[in-house]
Amino acid sequence: MIEIRFHGRGGQGAVTAVKILASAIHLEGKFTQAIPMYGTERRGAPVVAFCRIDDKRIRERDLVHEPDIVVVLDPLLNRSVDVTEGLKAGGLVIVNYPGNIKDTGLAGNFKVAAVDATKIALDVIGRPITNTAILGAFAKVTGLVKLESLAEAVNGELPSRIIASNVETMKRAYEATTAPANASGFRKTDVVKRASTQPLISYSRVVSDWRISHPVIDKNACVGCKRCWVYCPETAISLVDGKAEINYDYCKGCGICNEECLVGAIKMEREEV
Amino acid sequence: MSKKMSIRDLRKEEVMWPGNPACQGCGGSIIGRLIFKALGRNSARVEVASCAPGFMNIRVPSFFGPAFEGAAAFMTGLARGYKIIGREDIVVAGLIGDGGTADIGFQGLSGAAERNENVFWFTYDNEAYMNTGGQRSSATPEFASTSTTPVAKMSRGKTSEKKNVPMILALHHVPYVATASVAYPEDLTAKIVYGKELRGFRYMHINSPCPTGWGTDPKDTIKIARLAVESGLWPLYEILDGRHFKLTYKPRELKPVSETLKIQGRFRHLKDEEIASIQKATTENWSRLLAIDGKDIF
Repeated sequence: MIEIRFHGRGGQGAVTAVKILASAIHLEGKFTQAIPMYGTERRGAPVVAFCRIDDKRIRERDLVHEPDIVVVLDPLLNRSVDVTEGLKAGGLVIVNYPGNIKDTGLAGNFKVAAVDATKIALDVIGRPITNTAILGAFAKVTGLVKLESLAEAVNGELPSRIIASNVETMKRAYEATTAPANASGFRKTDVVKRASTQPLISYSRVVSDWRISHPVIDKNACVGCKRCWVYCPETAISLVDGKAEINYDYCKGCGICNEECLVGAIKMEREEV
Repeated sequence: MSKKMSIRDLRKEEVMWPGNPACQGCGGSIIGRLIFKALGRNSARVEVASCAPGFMNIRVPSFFGPAFEGAAAFMTGLARGYKIIGREDIVVAGLIGDGGTADIGFQGLSGAAERNENVFWFTYDNEAYMNTGGQRSSATPEFASTSTTPVAKMSRGKTSEKKNVPMILALHHVPYVATASVAYPEDLTAKIVYGKELRGFRYMHINSPCPTGWGTDPKDTIKIARLAVESGLWPLYEILDGRHFKLTYKPRELKPVSETLKIQGRFRHLKDEEIASIQKATTENWSRLLAIDGKDIF
Protein backbone atom coordinates (compact mmCIF):
# COMPACT_ATOMS: atom_id res chain seq x y z
CA MET A 1 0.00 0.00 0.00
CA ILE A 2 1.26 3.46 -0.86
CA GLU A 3 0.28 6.32 1.41
CA ILE A 4 0.47 9.93 0.28
CA ARG A 5 0.13 13.18 2.19
CA PHE A 6 -0.65 16.50 0.51
CA HIS A 7 0.40 19.74 2.17
CA GLY A 8 -1.09 22.96 0.87
CA ARG A 9 -2.74 26.19 1.82
CA GLY A 10 -6.46 26.83 1.89
CA GLY A 11 -7.42 27.87 -1.65
CA GLN A 12 -4.67 25.95 -3.46
CA GLY A 13 -6.88 22.91 -3.83
CA ALA A 14 -5.12 20.19 -1.82
CA VAL A 15 -8.44 18.50 -1.09
CA THR A 16 -9.48 18.67 -4.75
CA ALA A 17 -6.06 17.29 -5.70
CA VAL A 18 -6.52 14.11 -3.63
CA LYS A 19 -10.02 13.70 -5.04
CA ILE A 20 -8.73 13.95 -8.62
CA LEU A 21 -5.84 11.60 -7.87
CA ALA A 22 -8.12 9.03 -6.23
CA SER A 23 -10.62 9.14 -9.14
CA ALA A 24 -7.81 8.72 -11.65
CA ILE A 25 -6.42 5.71 -9.83
CA HIS A 26 -9.90 4.27 -9.52
CA LEU A 27 -10.29 4.63 -13.29
CA GLU A 28 -7.16 2.53 -13.69
CA GLY A 29 -8.81 -0.26 -11.73
CA LYS A 30 -6.93 0.04 -8.42
CA PHE A 31 -8.28 0.61 -4.93
CA THR A 32 -7.86 4.06 -3.43
CA GLN A 33 -8.98 6.49 -0.73
CA ALA A 34 -9.11 10.29 -0.65
CA ILE A 35 -9.21 11.74 2.87
CA PRO A 36 -9.66 15.48 3.36
CA MET A 37 -8.84 16.80 6.80
CA TYR A 38 -11.31 19.46 7.79
CA GLY A 39 -10.66 22.01 10.46
CA THR A 40 -11.10 25.74 10.65
CA GLU A 41 -9.10 26.28 7.46
CA ARG A 42 -9.19 29.74 5.96
CA ARG A 43 -7.91 30.74 2.57
CA GLY A 44 -4.12 30.85 3.02
CA ALA A 45 -3.85 28.73 6.17
CA PRO A 46 -1.88 25.43 6.05
CA VAL A 47 -4.03 22.36 5.27
CA VAL A 48 -3.37 18.64 4.74
CA ALA A 49 -5.14 15.91 2.78
CA PHE A 50 -4.35 12.23 2.37
CA CYS A 51 -4.54 9.50 -0.27
CA ARG A 52 -4.01 5.73 -0.18
CA ILE A 53 -3.37 3.47 -3.18
CA ASP A 54 -3.39 -0.33 -3.22
CA ASP A 55 -4.08 -3.27 -5.52
CA LYS A 56 -6.42 -4.86 -2.99
CA ARG A 57 -9.20 -3.48 -0.83
CA ILE A 58 -7.99 -0.94 1.75
CA ARG A 59 -9.18 -1.60 5.30
CA GLU A 60 -7.48 1.35 7.04
CA ARG A 61 -9.71 4.30 7.79
CA ASP A 62 -7.46 6.57 9.83
CA LEU A 63 -5.34 9.51 8.76
CA VAL A 64 -1.94 8.92 7.18
CA HIS A 65 0.81 9.26 9.77
CA GLU A 66 3.77 7.63 7.98
CA PRO A 67 3.49 8.53 4.30
CA ASP A 68 5.57 7.08 1.47
CA ILE A 69 5.15 10.21 -0.59
CA VAL A 70 4.68 13.82 0.50
CA VAL A 71 3.37 16.42 -1.95
CA VAL A 72 3.85 20.10 -1.09
CA LEU A 73 1.73 22.61 -2.99
CA ASP A 74 3.34 25.76 -1.65
CA PRO A 75 7.03 26.77 -1.83
CA LEU A 76 7.10 28.54 1.54
CA LEU A 77 5.14 26.00 3.53
CA ASN A 78 8.14 24.09 4.89
CA ARG A 79 9.16 27.13 6.90
CA SER A 80 6.17 26.91 9.19
CA VAL A 81 5.08 23.24 8.89
CA ASP A 82 7.30 20.16 9.21
CA VAL A 83 6.22 18.61 5.91
CA THR A 84 8.51 15.57 6.13
CA GLU A 85 7.21 14.52 9.54
CA GLY A 86 6.77 10.73 9.63
CA LEU A 87 8.03 10.28 6.07
CA LYS A 88 9.37 6.75 5.56
CA ALA A 89 13.11 6.34 4.95
CA GLY A 90 13.84 6.44 1.25
CA GLY A 91 10.53 8.19 0.62
CA LEU A 92 9.79 10.88 -1.89
CA VAL A 93 8.88 14.57 -1.60
CA ILE A 94 7.38 16.41 -4.57
CA VAL A 95 7.56 20.11 -3.92
CA ASN A 96 6.36 23.23 -5.71
CA TYR A 97 9.62 25.20 -5.88
CA PRO A 98 10.90 27.61 -8.53
CA GLY A 99 14.64 27.61 -7.83
CA ASN A 100 17.47 25.10 -7.60
CA ILE A 101 16.40 21.75 -6.18
CA LYS A 102 19.22 21.94 -3.60
CA ASP A 103 17.68 25.04 -2.00
CA THR A 104 14.21 23.72 -1.20
CA GLY A 105 15.17 23.55 2.47
CA LEU A 106 14.27 19.87 2.68
CA ALA A 107 17.04 17.48 3.67
CA GLY A 108 17.13 13.93 4.94
CA ASN A 109 16.98 10.33 3.87
CA PHE A 110 14.58 10.79 0.99
CA LYS A 111 14.37 12.00 -2.59
CA VAL A 112 13.15 15.41 -3.69
CA ALA A 113 11.57 16.38 -7.00
CA ALA A 114 10.64 19.97 -7.78
CA VAL A 115 8.42 21.86 -10.23
CA ASP A 116 7.53 25.56 -10.43
CA ALA A 117 3.81 24.88 -10.15
CA THR A 118 2.87 28.44 -9.15
CA LYS A 119 4.38 29.88 -12.33
CA ILE A 120 2.75 27.25 -14.55
CA ALA A 121 -0.63 27.80 -12.86
CA LEU A 122 -0.34 31.59 -13.18
CA ASP A 123 0.64 31.26 -16.86
CA VAL A 124 -2.12 28.86 -17.88
CA ILE A 125 -5.01 29.27 -15.40
CA GLY A 126 -4.23 32.83 -14.37
CA ARG A 127 -4.66 32.09 -10.65
CA PRO A 128 -2.11 30.58 -8.23
CA ILE A 129 -4.08 27.34 -7.76
CA THR A 130 -1.35 24.75 -7.95
CA ASN A 131 -3.17 21.45 -7.43
CA THR A 132 -3.44 20.22 -11.02
CA ALA A 133 0.12 21.30 -11.83
CA ILE A 134 1.52 19.34 -8.92
CA LEU A 135 -0.53 16.29 -10.01
CA GLY A 136 1.18 16.43 -13.41
CA ALA A 137 4.51 16.38 -11.61
CA PHE A 138 3.26 13.53 -9.42
CA ALA A 139 2.41 11.43 -12.51
CA LYS A 140 5.85 12.04 -14.00
CA VAL A 141 7.93 11.34 -10.90
CA THR A 142 6.06 8.41 -9.36
CA GLY A 143 4.58 6.71 -12.41
CA LEU A 144 1.71 5.57 -10.18
CA VAL A 145 -0.91 7.15 -12.41
CA LYS A 146 -1.13 7.96 -16.09
CA LEU A 147 -1.55 11.55 -17.28
CA GLU A 148 -4.52 10.46 -19.42
CA SER A 149 -6.44 9.06 -16.45
CA LEU A 150 -5.73 12.26 -14.47
CA ALA A 151 -7.13 14.29 -17.37
CA GLU A 152 -10.22 12.06 -17.38
CA ALA A 153 -10.63 12.41 -13.62
CA VAL A 154 -10.46 16.22 -13.88
CA ASN A 155 -13.65 16.02 -15.96
CA GLY A 156 -15.61 14.72 -13.02
CA GLU A 157 -14.14 16.94 -10.32
CA LEU A 158 -13.87 20.44 -11.81
CA PRO A 159 -16.42 22.71 -13.50
CA SER A 160 -16.43 22.37 -17.28
CA ARG A 161 -15.12 25.86 -18.09
CA ILE A 162 -11.74 25.31 -16.38
CA ILE A 163 -11.09 21.72 -17.47
CA ALA A 164 -9.08 22.54 -20.60
CA SER A 165 -6.76 24.95 -18.78
CA ASN A 166 -6.20 22.51 -15.93
CA VAL A 167 -5.36 19.64 -18.28
CA GLU A 168 -2.92 21.95 -20.06
CA THR A 169 -1.41 22.87 -16.66
CA MET A 170 -0.92 19.17 -15.89
CA LYS A 171 0.82 18.55 -19.20
CA ARG A 172 3.17 21.50 -18.78
CA ALA A 173 4.05 20.47 -15.24
CA TYR A 174 4.58 16.89 -16.43
CA GLU A 175 7.15 18.13 -18.93
CA ALA A 176 8.81 20.62 -16.59
CA THR A 177 9.39 18.34 -13.62
CA THR A 178 12.99 17.42 -12.85
CA ALA A 179 14.11 13.91 -11.93
CA PRO A 180 14.13 13.28 -8.16
CA ALA A 181 17.44 13.90 -6.41
CA ASN A 182 18.70 12.42 -3.18
CA ALA A 183 18.22 14.99 -0.42
CA SER A 184 20.67 13.69 2.15
CA GLY A 185 23.32 16.35 1.48
CA PHE A 186 21.05 19.35 1.04
CA ARG A 187 20.81 22.38 3.28
CA LYS A 188 17.91 22.15 5.70
CA THR A 189 15.61 25.03 6.65
CA ASP A 190 14.49 24.88 10.24
CA VAL A 191 10.80 24.92 10.90
CA VAL A 192 10.16 28.07 12.85
CA LYS A 193 6.86 28.74 14.56
CA ARG A 194 7.28 32.49 14.86
CA ALA A 195 5.54 34.15 17.73
CA SER A 196 3.83 37.48 17.27
CA THR A 197 5.62 40.53 18.59
CA GLN A 198 2.32 42.02 19.73
CA PRO A 199 0.97 41.08 23.16
CA LEU A 200 -0.78 37.82 22.45
CA ILE A 201 -4.43 37.12 22.46
CA SER A 202 -5.51 33.71 21.30
CA TYR A 203 -5.23 34.21 17.56
CA SER A 204 -2.53 36.83 16.98
CA ARG A 205 0.11 35.30 14.75
CA VAL A 206 2.64 36.02 12.03
CA VAL A 207 0.89 35.48 8.71
CA SER A 208 3.67 36.61 6.36
CA ASP A 209 4.03 33.17 4.73
CA TRP A 210 0.40 33.12 3.55
CA ARG A 211 1.09 35.39 0.60
CA ILE A 212 2.46 34.83 -2.89
CA SER A 213 3.06 38.52 -3.55
CA HIS A 214 3.57 41.51 -1.29
CA PRO A 215 2.86 45.24 -1.67
CA VAL A 216 5.75 47.69 -1.93
CA ILE A 217 5.10 51.37 -1.21
CA ASP A 218 6.82 54.08 -3.19
CA LYS A 219 7.27 56.68 -0.42
CA ASN A 220 7.83 59.51 -2.90
CA ALA A 221 4.59 58.85 -4.72
CA CYS A 222 2.54 58.34 -1.53
CA VAL A 223 0.32 61.37 -0.80
CA GLY A 224 -0.85 60.14 2.62
CA CYS A 225 -4.53 59.83 1.67
CA LYS A 226 -5.01 57.02 4.23
CA ARG A 227 -7.05 54.85 1.88
CA CYS A 228 -4.79 51.80 2.18
CA TRP A 229 -4.72 52.25 5.95
CA VAL A 230 -8.52 52.24 6.15
CA TYR A 231 -9.07 49.34 3.80
CA CYS A 232 -6.32 47.01 5.11
CA PRO A 233 -8.12 43.99 6.63
CA GLU A 234 -5.07 43.01 8.67
CA THR A 235 -4.28 46.33 10.37
CA ALA A 236 -0.83 45.82 8.81
CA ILE A 237 -0.55 49.36 7.47
CA SER A 238 0.26 52.24 9.78
CA LEU A 239 0.92 55.91 9.10
CA VAL A 240 4.42 57.15 9.84
CA ASP A 241 4.96 60.89 9.22
CA GLY A 242 1.80 60.94 7.15
CA LYS A 243 2.96 58.18 4.82
CA ALA A 244 1.82 54.58 4.72
CA GLU A 245 4.12 51.92 6.07
CA ILE A 246 3.54 48.16 5.95
CA ASN A 247 4.34 45.68 8.70
CA TYR A 248 5.18 42.67 6.55
CA ASP A 249 4.77 40.20 9.43
CA TYR A 250 1.03 40.75 9.28
CA CYS A 251 0.46 41.22 5.54
CA LYS A 252 -1.33 38.35 3.81
CA GLY A 253 -0.80 39.87 0.37
CA CYS A 254 -4.47 40.27 -0.51
CA GLY A 255 -3.69 43.26 -2.76
CA ILE A 256 -6.54 45.55 -1.63
CA CYS A 257 -4.08 48.41 -0.95
CA ASN A 258 -2.67 48.10 -4.46
CA GLU A 259 -6.18 48.09 -5.92
CA GLU A 260 -7.42 51.05 -3.86
CA CYS A 261 -4.35 53.35 -4.07
CA LEU A 262 -5.42 56.39 -6.09
CA VAL A 263 -1.92 57.52 -7.11
CA GLY A 264 -0.44 54.12 -7.94
CA ALA A 265 2.16 54.32 -5.17
CA ILE A 266 1.73 50.65 -4.24
CA LYS A 267 3.01 47.84 -6.43
CA MET A 268 2.62 44.11 -5.87
CA GLU A 269 5.80 42.05 -6.18
CA ARG A 270 6.01 38.28 -6.30
CA GLU A 271 7.33 36.85 -3.03
CA GLU A 272 10.95 35.71 -3.17
CA VAL A 273 11.38 32.06 -2.29
CA MET B 1 -29.45 62.67 10.33
CA SER B 2 -25.79 61.72 10.28
CA LYS B 3 -23.25 64.43 9.41
CA LYS B 4 -20.83 63.97 6.53
CA MET B 5 -17.31 62.85 7.47
CA SER B 6 -14.10 62.18 5.57
CA ILE B 7 -11.52 59.45 5.92
CA ARG B 8 -9.26 61.96 7.68
CA ASP B 9 -11.70 62.15 10.59
CA LEU B 10 -11.36 58.45 11.46
CA ARG B 11 -9.78 57.70 14.81
CA LYS B 12 -6.11 56.69 14.68
CA GLU B 13 -6.28 54.32 17.64
CA GLU B 14 -6.43 50.69 16.50
CA VAL B 15 -8.93 48.34 18.10
CA MET B 16 -7.59 45.16 16.57
CA TRP B 17 -4.45 43.11 16.99
CA PRO B 18 -2.79 42.54 13.66
CA GLY B 19 -2.16 39.03 12.36
CA ASN B 20 -5.67 37.62 12.45
CA PRO B 21 -6.34 34.23 10.84
CA ALA B 22 -9.21 35.44 8.63
CA CYS B 23 -9.04 34.85 4.87
CA GLN B 24 -7.06 37.13 2.60
CA GLY B 25 -9.08 40.22 1.71
CA CYS B 26 -11.73 39.69 4.42
CA GLY B 27 -14.43 42.37 4.27
CA GLY B 28 -15.71 41.48 7.74
CA SER B 29 -12.34 42.28 9.36
CA ILE B 30 -12.42 45.80 7.93
CA ILE B 31 -15.97 46.27 9.19
CA GLY B 32 -15.18 45.05 12.72
CA ARG B 33 -12.25 47.43 12.87
CA LEU B 34 -14.26 50.40 11.55
CA ILE B 35 -17.21 49.81 13.89
CA PHE B 36 -15.22 49.68 17.10
CA LYS B 37 -12.93 52.50 15.96
CA ALA B 38 -16.07 54.63 15.72
CA LEU B 39 -17.75 53.38 18.91
CA GLY B 40 -14.67 53.76 21.08
CA ARG B 41 -13.93 52.17 24.43
CA ASN B 42 -17.18 53.10 26.09
CA SER B 43 -19.03 50.11 24.73
CA ALA B 44 -19.51 46.37 25.14
CA ARG B 45 -19.14 43.90 22.28
CA VAL B 46 -21.52 40.97 21.80
CA GLU B 47 -20.76 38.41 19.09
CA VAL B 48 -22.46 35.12 18.34
CA ALA B 49 -21.14 32.23 16.25
CA SER B 50 -19.66 33.73 13.08
CA CYS B 51 -16.23 34.58 11.73
CA ALA B 52 -16.13 37.61 14.03
CA PRO B 53 -15.36 36.13 17.47
CA GLY B 54 -12.85 33.62 16.18
CA PHE B 55 -11.01 35.47 13.49
CA MET B 56 -11.13 39.20 13.84
CA ASN B 57 -8.75 39.74 16.80
CA ILE B 58 -10.74 42.71 18.05
CA ARG B 59 -9.07 43.99 21.20
CA VAL B 60 -11.42 46.58 22.65
CA PRO B 61 -14.13 46.73 23.88
CA SER B 62 -14.55 43.62 26.01
CA PHE B 63 -16.24 40.62 24.48
CA PHE B 64 -19.33 38.59 25.36
CA GLY B 65 -20.30 35.47 23.43
CA PRO B 66 -23.84 34.18 23.98
CA ALA B 67 -25.56 31.31 22.14
CA PHE B 68 -26.30 31.76 18.44
CA GLU B 69 -30.02 32.48 18.83
CA GLY B 70 -29.57 34.46 22.05
CA ALA B 71 -27.79 37.61 20.89
CA ALA B 72 -30.76 39.93 21.32
CA ALA B 73 -31.79 38.45 24.67
CA PHE B 74 -28.22 38.71 25.97
CA MET B 75 -27.87 42.29 24.77
CA THR B 76 -31.19 43.13 26.41
CA GLY B 77 -29.85 41.80 29.71
CA LEU B 78 -26.61 43.75 29.38
CA ALA B 79 -28.41 46.98 28.51
CA ARG B 80 -30.86 46.66 31.42
CA GLY B 81 -27.99 45.85 33.77
CA TYR B 82 -26.15 48.99 32.69
CA LYS B 83 -29.38 50.96 33.17
CA ILE B 84 -29.69 49.74 36.76
CA ILE B 85 -26.17 50.89 37.60
CA GLY B 86 -26.85 54.19 35.85
CA ARG B 87 -24.53 53.71 32.92
CA GLU B 88 -26.86 54.10 29.97
CA ASP B 89 -24.06 55.87 28.10
CA ILE B 90 -22.34 52.51 27.49
CA VAL B 91 -23.18 51.31 23.98
CA VAL B 92 -24.13 47.64 23.95
CA ALA B 93 -22.99 46.74 20.45
CA GLY B 94 -23.70 43.43 18.75
CA LEU B 95 -21.51 42.41 15.82
CA ILE B 96 -23.67 39.69 14.34
CA GLY B 97 -23.53 37.89 11.01
CA ASP B 98 -26.38 37.70 8.53
CA GLY B 99 -27.35 34.21 9.76
CA GLY B 100 -27.54 35.39 13.37
CA THR B 101 -29.67 38.33 12.22
CA ALA B 102 -31.96 37.15 9.46
CA ASP B 103 -32.45 33.47 10.38
CA ILE B 104 -31.35 32.16 13.73
CA GLY B 105 -31.48 35.31 15.84
CA PHE B 106 -34.47 36.86 14.12
CA GLN B 107 -37.17 36.25 16.75
CA GLY B 108 -34.96 37.75 19.46
CA LEU B 109 -33.99 40.66 17.22
CA SER B 110 -37.61 41.44 16.42
CA GLY B 111 -38.53 41.16 20.10
CA ALA B 112 -35.74 43.48 21.22
CA ALA B 113 -36.69 46.00 18.52
CA GLU B 114 -40.33 45.85 19.55
CA ARG B 115 -39.39 46.47 23.22
CA ASN B 116 -37.05 49.25 22.01
CA GLU B 117 -34.11 48.01 24.08
CA ASN B 118 -31.12 50.31 24.39
CA VAL B 119 -28.75 48.39 22.10
CA PHE B 120 -26.92 48.96 18.80
CA TRP B 121 -27.12 45.97 16.47
CA PHE B 122 -24.58 45.66 13.63
CA THR B 123 -25.11 43.06 10.95
CA TYR B 124 -22.14 42.36 8.74
CA ASP B 125 -23.79 40.71 5.81
CA ASN B 126 -21.71 38.35 3.69
CA GLU B 127 -24.90 36.83 2.34
CA ALA B 128 -24.46 33.21 3.50
CA TYR B 129 -23.11 31.12 6.40
CA MET B 130 -19.52 31.73 5.33
CA ASN B 131 -17.93 30.50 8.58
CA THR B 132 -19.17 26.95 8.00
CA GLY B 133 -18.58 26.67 4.26
CA GLY B 134 -21.07 28.98 2.57
CA GLN B 135 -24.56 27.57 3.16
CA ARG B 136 -27.42 29.78 2.02
CA SER B 137 -29.09 32.07 4.53
CA SER B 138 -32.21 34.15 4.05
CA ALA B 139 -29.90 37.10 3.33
CA THR B 140 -28.50 35.33 0.26
CA PRO B 141 -29.59 37.13 -2.93
CA GLU B 142 -31.56 35.43 -5.66
CA PHE B 143 -29.63 33.23 -8.15
CA ALA B 144 -26.53 33.07 -5.92
CA SER B 145 -24.76 29.74 -5.96
CA THR B 146 -23.98 28.49 -2.44
CA SER B 147 -23.03 25.08 -1.10
CA THR B 148 -26.67 24.29 -0.34
CA THR B 149 -28.07 25.92 -3.50
CA PRO B 150 -25.46 24.76 -6.03
CA VAL B 151 -25.90 25.38 -9.73
CA ALA B 152 -26.75 22.16 -11.56
CA LYS B 153 -29.01 20.88 -14.32
CA MET B 154 -32.23 21.64 -12.48
CA SER B 155 -30.99 24.45 -10.21
CA ARG B 156 -30.10 28.07 -10.96
CA GLY B 157 -28.89 28.91 -7.47
CA LYS B 158 -31.09 30.34 -4.73
CA THR B 159 -34.70 30.60 -5.81
CA SER B 160 -36.06 33.21 -3.42
CA GLU B 161 -35.20 36.86 -2.97
CA LYS B 162 -33.03 38.34 -0.22
CA LYS B 163 -34.83 39.15 3.01
CA ASN B 164 -34.89 42.94 3.43
CA VAL B 165 -34.03 43.11 7.13
CA PRO B 166 -33.40 46.90 7.44
CA MET B 167 -36.89 47.66 6.10
CA ILE B 168 -38.45 45.05 8.41
CA LEU B 169 -36.67 46.66 11.35
CA ALA B 170 -37.80 50.12 10.19
CA LEU B 171 -41.39 48.88 10.43
CA HIS B 172 -40.77 48.26 14.14
CA HIS B 173 -40.46 52.08 14.37
CA VAL B 174 -37.10 51.92 16.13
CA PRO B 175 -35.09 55.16 16.55
CA TYR B 176 -32.45 54.40 13.96
CA VAL B 177 -32.01 52.02 11.04
CA ALA B 178 -29.20 52.40 8.51
CA THR B 179 -27.42 50.53 5.78
CA ALA B 180 -23.71 50.91 5.09
CA SER B 181 -20.98 49.44 2.96
CA VAL B 182 -17.37 48.54 3.63
CA ALA B 183 -16.39 50.59 0.57
CA TYR B 184 -17.69 53.81 2.20
CA PRO B 185 -15.93 53.91 5.59
CA GLU B 186 -16.60 57.63 6.08
CA ASP B 187 -20.35 57.09 5.60
CA LEU B 188 -20.31 54.06 7.91
CA THR B 189 -18.44 55.95 10.62
CA ALA B 190 -20.69 59.00 10.34
CA LYS B 191 -23.77 56.81 10.86
CA ILE B 192 -22.24 55.10 13.89
CA VAL B 193 -21.15 58.40 15.42
CA TYR B 194 -24.71 59.70 15.02
CA GLY B 195 -26.34 56.45 16.16
CA LYS B 196 -24.29 55.99 19.31
CA GLU B 197 -25.63 59.20 20.81
CA LEU B 198 -29.22 58.01 20.45
CA ARG B 199 -31.06 55.88 23.00
CA GLY B 200 -33.18 52.88 22.10
CA PHE B 201 -32.86 50.19 19.49
CA ARG B 202 -30.46 51.03 16.66
CA TYR B 203 -29.76 48.80 13.70
CA MET B 204 -27.12 48.90 10.98
CA HIS B 205 -26.83 46.54 8.03
CA ILE B 206 -23.39 46.45 6.40
CA ASN B 207 -22.38 44.87 3.11
CA SER B 208 -19.31 42.70 3.64
CA PRO B 209 -17.88 40.90 0.60
CA CYS B 210 -16.37 37.48 1.33
CA PRO B 211 -13.70 36.51 -1.23
CA THR B 212 -13.83 32.81 -0.29
CA GLY B 213 -17.58 32.45 -0.32
CA TRP B 214 -18.32 34.76 -3.24
CA GLY B 215 -15.59 33.32 -5.44
CA THR B 216 -13.78 36.61 -5.99
CA ASP B 217 -10.18 37.71 -6.04
CA PRO B 218 -9.18 38.98 -2.56
CA LYS B 219 -7.99 42.28 -4.05
CA ASP B 220 -11.49 43.03 -5.38
CA THR B 221 -13.24 43.11 -1.96
CA ILE B 222 -13.65 46.90 -1.86
CA LYS B 223 -14.27 47.20 -5.58
CA ILE B 224 -17.22 44.77 -5.43
CA ALA B 225 -18.74 46.55 -2.44
CA ARG B 226 -18.38 49.91 -4.22
CA LEU B 227 -19.88 48.59 -7.45
CA ALA B 228 -22.83 47.16 -5.48
CA VAL B 229 -23.56 50.63 -4.11
CA GLU B 230 -23.01 52.40 -7.42
CA SER B 231 -25.27 49.98 -9.27
CA GLY B 232 -28.11 50.33 -6.77
CA LEU B 233 -27.88 46.74 -5.52
CA TRP B 234 -26.92 48.01 -2.08
CA PRO B 235 -28.52 51.43 -1.47
CA LEU B 236 -27.06 53.44 1.41
CA TYR B 237 -29.80 55.03 3.50
CA GLU B 238 -30.92 55.76 7.02
CA ILE B 239 -34.37 55.74 8.56
CA LEU B 240 -35.14 57.77 11.68
CA ASP B 241 -37.93 56.70 14.05
CA GLY B 242 -39.09 54.29 11.35
CA ARG B 243 -40.48 57.25 9.41
CA HIS B 244 -37.96 59.74 8.03
CA PHE B 245 -36.15 58.14 5.11
CA LYS B 246 -32.97 59.55 3.60
CA LEU B 247 -30.56 58.22 1.00
CA THR B 248 -27.05 59.08 2.14
CA TYR B 249 -25.36 58.36 -1.16
CA LYS B 250 -26.95 58.99 -4.52
CA PRO B 251 -24.88 58.04 -7.57
CA ARG B 252 -25.59 60.43 -10.44
CA GLU B 253 -26.23 57.51 -12.73
CA LEU B 254 -26.58 53.86 -11.76
CA LYS B 255 -23.98 51.52 -13.17
CA PRO B 256 -25.23 48.29 -14.75
CA VAL B 257 -25.49 45.45 -12.21
CA SER B 258 -23.65 43.13 -14.60
CA GLU B 259 -20.37 44.91 -13.74
CA THR B 260 -20.45 43.70 -10.15
CA LEU B 261 -22.17 40.35 -10.83
CA LYS B 262 -19.70 39.28 -13.51
CA ILE B 263 -16.65 39.34 -11.24
CA GLN B 264 -18.28 37.12 -8.61
CA GLY B 265 -17.94 33.35 -8.90
CA ARG B 266 -21.32 32.74 -7.28
CA PHE B 267 -23.04 34.60 -10.16
CA ARG B 268 -20.86 33.28 -12.98
CA HIS B 269 -23.62 30.99 -14.27
CA LEU B 270 -26.11 33.82 -14.83
CA LYS B 271 -27.71 34.04 -18.26
CA ASP B 272 -28.47 37.37 -19.88
CA GLU B 273 -32.19 37.19 -19.05
CA GLU B 274 -31.39 36.49 -15.39
CA ILE B 275 -29.08 39.50 -15.25
CA ALA B 276 -31.85 41.50 -16.95
CA SER B 277 -34.35 40.44 -14.28
CA ILE B 278 -31.93 41.47 -11.49
CA GLN B 279 -31.33 44.76 -13.32
CA LYS B 280 -35.08 45.39 -13.61
CA ALA B 281 -35.72 44.65 -9.93
CA THR B 282 -32.78 46.85 -8.90
CA THR B 283 -33.84 49.80 -11.06
CA GLU B 284 -37.43 49.58 -9.81
CA ASN B 285 -36.27 49.41 -6.20
CA TRP B 286 -33.99 52.39 -6.75
CA SER B 287 -36.73 54.54 -8.26
CA ARG B 288 -39.00 53.61 -5.33
CA LEU B 289 -36.29 54.71 -2.89
CA LEU B 290 -35.67 57.94 -4.84
CA ALA B 291 -39.39 58.72 -4.65
CA ILE B 292 -39.45 58.51 -0.84
CA ASP B 293 -36.03 60.13 -0.31
CA GLY B 294 -36.22 62.89 2.30
CA LYS B 295 -39.89 62.21 3.01
CA ASP B 296 -41.89 60.51 5.73
CA ILE B 297 -42.76 56.95 4.94
CA PHE B 298 -45.23 54.39 6.35
